[in-house]
Amino acid sequence: MVALDVLKKSLQKRPEGYVELRHHKRQTFNISAKDGKIDTLNSGAIEGACARVLINGSWGFASSTMLEEEKIDKMLKDAASLAKSSKSKKKRVVKLASLKPHVDRYETSMKKDPRKAGKEDLVSLVIDVDKAVRDFSKIIVSDTVTFNIVDDNLAFISSEGSEIHQRIVRCFGSVTVVAREKGNIASAYESIGEQSGLEVLEKTPLMNVGLTAAERASKLVSAKVAPAGYYHVILENRIVGLLAHEAVGHCSEADLVFGGSFLANKIGERVASEKVTLVDDGVFPNGFGTMKYDDEGVPTQKTVIIEKGVCKSFLHSRETAQHFGVNPTGNARAWNFEFDPIIRMRNTYIEAGDYTLEELAEDIKEGFFLKGGLGGQADFNGEFMFGTQEAIRIKNGEFAESMRGVTISGNAFEVLKNVDAIGKDFIMRVGLCGKEQINYVGMGGASLRTKVLMGGAK
Amino acid sequence: MSLLNFAELAVKTCQKLGADETEAFIQSQQIVEVVLERAEIQNERFKTQSGVGIRVIKDKKLGFAFASKLSKESIEETCKVAISLAKASVPNPEWVSLPSKERLPKTPEGIFDPEIANISGDEMLNLVINAYDAAKGYDKRVDIDDGKFSAILNEIVVANSHEVEAQEKTTRIEGYLVCVAKEHGETSSMAYEYDVSTILKEFLPEKIGRSAAEKALSSLHPKTVESFTGKVILDSDPASFILFYPVISSVNADNVQRGRSLWAGKIGEKVAASKLTVFDDGLMPRGVGSLNFDFEGIPRQKTPIITRGKLEGFIHNSYTANKEGRKSTGNAYRESYNMLPTVAASNFVINTGKKRLDELIAEVDKGMIVRRFSGNVRPESGEFSGIAKQASYIENGQIKHALRETMISGNAFQALKDIIDIGCEIRPTEIRAYTPSILVDNIQIISKQ
Repeated sequence: MVALDVLKKSLQKRPEGYVELRHHKRQTFNISAKDGKIDTLNSGAIEGACARVLINGSWGFASSTMLEEEKIDKMLKDAASLAKSSKSKKKRVVKLASLKPHVDRYETSMKKDPRKAGKEDLVSLVIDVDKAVRDFSKIIVSDTVTFNIVDDNLAFISSEGSEIHQRIVRCFGSVTVVAREKGNIASAYESIGEQSGLEVLEKTPLMNVGLTAAERASKLVSAKVAPAGYYHVILENRIVGLLAHEAVGHCSEADLVFGGSFLANKIGERVASEKVTLVDDGVFPNGFGTMKYDDEGVPTQKTVIIEKGVCKSFLHSRETAQHFGVNPTGNARAWNFEFDPIIRMRNTYIEAGDYTLEELAEDIKEGFFLKGGLGGQADFNGEFMFGTQEAIRIKNGEFAESMRGVTISGNAFEVLKNVDAIGKDFIMRVGLCGKEQINYVGMGGASLRTKVLMGGAK
Repeated sequence: MSLLNFAELAVKTCQKLGADETEAFIQSQQIVEVVLERAEIQNERFKTQSGVGIRVIKDKKLGFAFASKLSKESIEETCKVAISLAKASVPNPEWVSLPSKERLPKTPEGIFDPEIANISGDEMLNLVINAYDAAKGYDKRVDIDDGKFSAILNEIVVANSHEVEAQEKTTRIEGYLVCVAKEHGETSSMAYEYDVSTILKEFLPEKIGRSAAEKALSSLHPKTVESFTGKVILDSDPASFILFYPVISSVNADNVQRGRSLWAGKIGEKVAASKLTVFDDGLMPRGVGSLNFDFEGIPRQKTPIITRGKLEGFIHNSYTANKEGRKSTGNAYRESYNMLPTVAASNFVINTGKKRLDELIAEVDKGMIVRRFSGNVRPESGEFSGIAKQASYIENGQIKHALRETMISGNAFQALKDIIDIGCEIRPTEIRAYTPSILVDNIQIISKQ
């Protein structure tokens, strides 16, 4: 019996309360080359199911990789007994916003389905990029090139009558380069990817970002660390998504709003410069975080968080939507079958403006053009940070020397109010966000100008 | 069929299909987990999961396949995939062999606790409530934002075609809380506190609650100070990330061999202040990374890393060791069964000093204490920069006030040489480094002023 039939049979036994059952099979393919050698050539599948049960306002959850009928029945029983036994210890009574049941199918739009493609071409591609990166300069001592395919098959059935099947395919790759010269060392990292088939490699060749990383690492070996201080900066289009995600996105997640994040009670108020329109979009074409339905079976949508500087909406699950008296936005997502869905972003971006890069630099007397993203984090109080790899000095509107990038920080309110010009070079990128559980997200935007605190050298 | 039987089946099947060498790694876990969200207990989870990862070598070509399903059919299918990937791959001329069987040391004491293995959902909830009540009861201004508590029973089996066969069960309980304090419309920065233990009795949820609350409160009413260069006390967590993440990266033999470590060729040289002694101890009693074998099935050991400031050695798995014709230090590690082994620290232990935290504070004329670091560290070059969270300004040996919008930056390799003193209490951190508080000089402290 196939797994879904087992789940359906289990659901037909009319368990108590509201029940969601999910089945998830994740097939992955990874290939990597390190310093001229194939390091990994991996393939495999992880498959499992989970039950989330709501009884008298109390949740219970259980998951299993064992999918035989008696194991699934036990899983459902475990979830129900956890819901009941924990009831007396929970203060909150959970209520869900109502939802029309959906019976539907969705599949990532693909031109080149990786399932049908031979893997030999990918092996040669990774080897070619690895070679080109090492040949870029004699001072490049090490590199890692990866390409990955994650093929998710998701099924969602609920006691309300939903039955949703989604197949979501993500292809992504990365290049890390280390350069060394005269006792100095520098590394650089770039990535590509989207929700699509292997055509992503034609749209955004891995070779291009490989060479970008090679060039950056080579250039930065002999460069100094950018100075510390409060500066006017241009954030490159490839990293503006980090600003959208870290500075604003997290604080608009209703679970954080509930706790008093800086956007709490700000609906209808001005929170950013009027140049800023910031969106979390669940239906963005080929977005890394795009799904037709979230993991509560709610149809996703384009949610405008900030429109021309004014706060318009938060990101909701069925539970927080009920609490705030609004409609769910389709933001409840789970990393895999081992997790119950929590409020997550999908594809978060700042809409493009009409400036060129040169125009953005024009009005900066002394500042930096920041490129290449690294990890980021957001705080309740609106303070956020993320890393940059390269800082190109701007002097009297002209680009000057490259320096080693540093972590930048700021208060989201202030940084967004200081956005006074946005470029037209919109780009959507891939991201991995960790919040209790990790998840794939899209991050996007166009180069923009603002002021941030740079954590650099003396 | 037992887990060991499945591993043996995988090895036998691949060898029959023509592999030169085969290794099977099986992991099975049972997890009881409680999640807090929006200041309340949100959900409780029971998770059961298992899986196998199969590594085969054919003509010096490597193939790897995995599956979460443990059955005869699934294992045979996964073996076929691994073999076909090996055939499609490119030979690695540096491949020598998988490790051979060795006599394993005694299982380290206290890595398995039946009380954790058999914990009920109700007992788990009570632990969380203890932490919750301790935080709420500490001060009315404190709110809990989120948290998670997990009890994990882990079983690991490794077998290979050179007769390696190792099997062990371990347990771990871990939990964290994120608290904020609120007063007069002001919200503090997020304060994070956690504990992790292999033994239930040594896990202290009340301490998590109290300490998270105390950290949140102490970051209320922050002020800024002018930028300066000075002394900084890094609490265990930031010390581990800022100083020892680059150390672990630099003594990882894979990075050394690939030109990614500034410490390549520097064994015997002075790399840190004389107060610093560090070792990797895979056999430490009750260590969160302890086991009698590594994830290739060969003995774990205690390896000196830095002795009184001098670099002593690197950590290896069998691949990096074979490349140099030496013995592995038993540091093969896998995040999960679906990944190939890498080189990683087991328990990275920093020798404690003699000073309590208040004594370290008393040593600082002008500086700060950082209890959480939200930033980036470049492991190869040692550059670090980021926001100092739950940070306070220190003047004349006394804490003056919390700091707001303050960043720190510097270079870890320089900072190791600028260590002034080391605290007397260690705790395991996220990167399995048992780290005390460390007082370091010459750190850039940055604010808008």
